[in-house]
Amino acid sequence: MKIIVDRQRCDGNGVCMGIAPEVFDVDDDLYLHVAETIPEDPELRARVRQSITSCPILALKLVEE
Amino acid sequence: MGTRQRIVVAGGSLAGHSAVTELVGLVPEAEIVWVTGEPHKTYSKPALSKEFMQARNELAELTLPDVAGDRPRGLRILRGRSCVSLDASGRAVTLDDGERIDFDQLLVATGAAARMPGMLRGVDGVFPLRTLDDAVAIRARLADRPKVAVVGGGLIGCELAASVRAFGLDVTIVERLDTLLDRPFGGALGSYFLDLHRANGVELVMGAMVERVALEEGRVAGVHLADGTEIAAGLVLVGAGSEPCTQWLDGSGLQVGDGVLCDAHLATSSPGIFAAGDVARWTNPIYGLRMRVEHWTNASAQGRAAARNMVALATGRQDLRKAFADVPYFWSDQYGQKIQMVGWHEGHDRVELDRSGDVPGPLARFYRNGRLIAAAGVNAPRVVMRLRRQIEDEARAAEAA
Repeated sequence: MKIIVDRQRCDGNGVCMGIAPEVFDVDDDLYLHVAETIPEDPELRARVRQSITSCPILALKLVEE
Repeated sequence: MGTRQRIVVAGGSLAGHSAVTELVGLVPEAEIVWVTGEPHKTYSKPALSKEFMQARNELAELTLPDVAGDRPRGLRILRGRSCVSLDASGRAVTLDDGERIDFDQLLVATGAAARMPGMLRGVDGVFPLRTLDDAVAIRARLADRPKVAVVGGGLIGCELAASVRAFGLDVTIVERLDTLLDRPFGGALGSYFLDLHRANGVELVMGAMVERVALEEGRVAGVHLADGTEIAAGLVLVGAGSEPCTQWLDGSGLQVGDGVLCDAHLATSSPGIFAAGDVARWTNPIYGLRMRVEHWTNASAQGRAAARNMVALATGRQDLRKAFADVPYFWSDQYGQKIQMVGWHEGHDRVELDRSGDVPGPLARFYRNGRLIAAAGVNAPRVVMRLRRQIEDEARAAEAA
């Protein structure tokens, strides 16, 4: 599982961070940091998928490996 | 009806989209009928007043991915059709074309509609902003570079003013109160917002009531205020709040009061009927209060939660049954500032305002009986999100005590 951020679009709303703070972190410059690797935990992965579909500007994409 | 379970989802915006996505995944054997209301595929509403209005993105970029890829077997999408009545005891909805659809379960996710004061209705050049069609119409008028009057200094009004200023147009906000964004931010950041809009060239007319519009050759030419002032404007944008879309439920027997009344599991007064999104007034266990939240994150999470509770009820899968306990969150973008609010400030008895410089912008904390219930901040996402978790932790601790 890998997450691709569209940097042109992402403006740091932090919706993803609210749903899966273990994976997403928006800093005070509104830059989104994404964890390099996402643990195999199914509950967390479900929340990561939810974060991606919840992005209001559709800036996140998921690549399932 | 056959043995196959039929679930109707009324409403094609985010709460409906989120619920249908969840239902397709959880009960692929069920028949799901999605009555969307709007003719468009589900799109991002928060972007309408911001990125889309500033022409920084286009429709394709606002459209959410199709549910479960393309066409799951049991899903029937009725786009551009609406539910016009509900027979709760007879377990059926009637659509605008007269079709009656029986259901085993129903999700009410019909959202909210823009409120338009009577004297502003039906006037050429006066627009609310709620739907994509509204946004497209406003954008087309902005191309003529009119002077713009914004009626209402709430979230939509302030975001529209900021977006219009990005094109360098003259903008006047007319607001009934003496402060901007009073209700969404609990009045705490009022002077910050006044300074922000003034510094960006917006004319503010505060404590003023619009009495009527001025017309010229059948089109709007401005607004007249109660004190006699006239503000010239070739385009009038109205941010007068919204109302839950519950008219179609009149006479259904469903309990309604400024939204569809729900318990903590998003179940309405009628078994098997649930509600989610802007239309739902549910009991939030975090606060022990009934509330209706009109924001993106709520619609997304609530649609999903309602779907899971519906499946739990229909199948007996107790692992899916969960109260919807959530600390609300919304944000606003104005002139490049990221303004965020977490929690529910109504009923607060103390506000702490922090402009110490330890945080990048002003930060307000709202308390009730010593407990943190809400927080608002500017350009401080980490702090605000930490406070969101603190609100939740304090609520759980209070419940356990």
